[in-house]
Amino acid sequence: MKQTCFLFLSVLLAFFPKVASAEDIELQPVDGRSPTERAFMLGIGSTNQLDTYLSPMSYKGTQLSFLARSERMTHLASRHVSFQNTFHATFTSADNPAGTASCLGGRLAYDAGWHYHFSPLPHFDLKGGALVGADLGFLYNDHGGNNPAQGHFSIDLSLSAGAAYSFRLRKLPLRVGYQADMPMVGMMFSPEFGESYYEISQRGVGHNLLCAHPGNALCFRQTLMLDFHLKRITLRVGYLCDIRQSNAHSLKYRDASHSFMFGIARHFQLMKRVKNEK
Amino acid sequence: MNRFFTFLLTFVSIFIVSCQKSDYDYDDTPQGNLDALWTLIDQRYCFLTYKEEQLGFKWTDIHAKYSAKLGGEMSRVQLFEVLSQMLSELKDGHVNISTSLDLGRNWSWKEDFPENLNTELRQSYLGSDYHIGSSLRYTILPDNIAFVVCESFSSAIGDGNLSDMLTYLRLCDGMIIDIRGNGGGELTNAEKLSRRFTNEKRLVGYTLHKTGTAHDDFSEPRAEYIEPSDGVRWQKPVVVLTNRSCYSAANIFVRNMREMPLVTIMGDRTGGGSGMPFTSELPIGWSVRFSAVLSLDARGGQTEFGIEPDVSSALDDALAAQGTDSMIEQARAYLKSQR
Repeated sequence: MKQTCFLFLSVLLAFFPKVASAEDIELQPVDGRSPTERAFMLGIGSTNQLDTYLSPMSYKGTQLSFLARSERMTHLASRHVSFQNTFHATFTSADNPAGTASCLGGRLAYDAGWHYHFSPLPHFDLKGGALVGADLGFLYNDHGGNNPAQGHFSIDLSLSAGAAYSFRLRKLPLRVGYQADMPMVGMMFSPEFGESYYEISQRGVGHNLLCAHPGNALCFRQTLMLDFHLKRITLRVGYLCDIRQSNAHSLKYRDASHSFMFGIARHFQLMKRVKNEK
Repeated sequence: MNRFFTFLLTFVSIFIVSCQKSDYDYDDTPQGNLDALWTLIDQRYCFLTYKEEQLGFKWTDIHAKYSAKLGGEMSRVQLFEVLSQMLSELKDGHVNISTSLDLGRNWSWKEDFPENLNTELRQSYLGSDYHIGSSLRYTILPDNIAFVVCESFSSAIGDGNLSDMLTYLRLCDGMIIDIRGNGGGELTNAEKLSRRFTNEKRLVGYTLHKTGTAHDDFSEPRAEYIEPSDGVRWQKPVVVLTNRSCYSAANIFVRNMREMPLVTIMGDRTGGGSGMPFTSELPIGWSVRFSAVLSLDARGGQTEFGIEPDVSSALDDALAAQGTDSMIEQARAYLKSQR
């Protein structure tokens, strides 16, 4: 066994001699790459759902969510442009007003885009930009029948704006940030008013894809976050308001949630190995 | 700077003001629940115009008629009775109010007619040595006629079940498919069975759904076809035995089989129920089922009130008392005449 291990290590060292001599290597930031800020957050809050395909009643309940967001400055426009991507997953459980039926829901949303930053005041950062996103979700109502569930899908181009302010409270460094995103144009899925999913499966979804715009799908997401440092960790707490809605084919849909979010934010620097010239 | 904040505030304000509200303003009161139910049917029930023509009522009059039956202080039982009666005007087995108290229904499509079925008698034809393939029970009668009983389309019927059944029955001279008492189930099961009786793609009907809240907002009719199965297919005469309890998916099965070659529909008129039901609810929390998607036959005709058989037959009670099912015997005689 010892012989086998020795042989294996010898082969490894023969193929990767430089890895073994770590003293010759040092790490340096990749050219033009700024540190990436990544935040991972969990949230709990309330939801108010309406999907008239399933029921004319509004359902109220609880939402659990996960939000991962990363942002880094790029070399564009003299390092005034940042690239951001956001992944948002939610799970909801809500009841009808009479308490006789419940609705389970889930959503996965991803968007990515660019913001232009400028600082009109010291420690104060404003940004505006655009995001491209996709949203996939479902609602399941336990009252059964041939219409127990509804699927939601959309892709969109959003306008996005935000602000951030860094300050100190006594000796504690704090940063408060706000961002609002609003889809302006895109495409969404919607069954026709009385169309069953059985029919959709037979005839395809071609006629169920519609152009989405604020006139028929007014959606909005805003986050207000506070960062504070505890030793080497940046903790982030805040508020997430996420409202998705549509009014198409005489069917109304709304999923409005307000969540308290908490998590951590970290800064990462992409490094490269550089041979140490001595 | 100020311009930015103005933009941001406008952005948020426009959104908050325009947040969508449900236009569902019905309270959980007797009148609120009746109004909600009436509106649900008015906007989403797919047979409303047809039922108004066939049954001679005006849905707008129905609202006034049943609102007059409401009182300020009504118990849940009393409200349930009024709402159930209102829905009974539609004479649709797919329209129900489901509550913990009871299931509101109108089953006049079968209860007002002779049943034409004695299940014990039918069982005596199957005997005890019959085969079971999912929801199908089958045997070979002494005169070499295959006898298949399908009481429901609720359970999934596998392609293997069908191929094995048809292989076992392949030497028979004809087949009786007895669907008397079959109240429906999954459309896909009815289709799967139908596919065993054609060698070519056949038009069997059309479906339409509501596209808006107006009574006549319907989609363009979409043709429905039955494609021949890739498995074993039946090539000999078939009699489908029906009664008034054949409803929903069973009614659709008869609609499909009517278009197949070598198939004769025999028995009583089917119960109907050609709408695909959806479910909604009332402010009080009661579930409401209603027909939402409409099916027509291959000639564009309604089958909501049933399908007439090609050959009428009825259960003879005197013969039944002697242990003979006159409907099965008539089907056997018919198949023998086709040899």
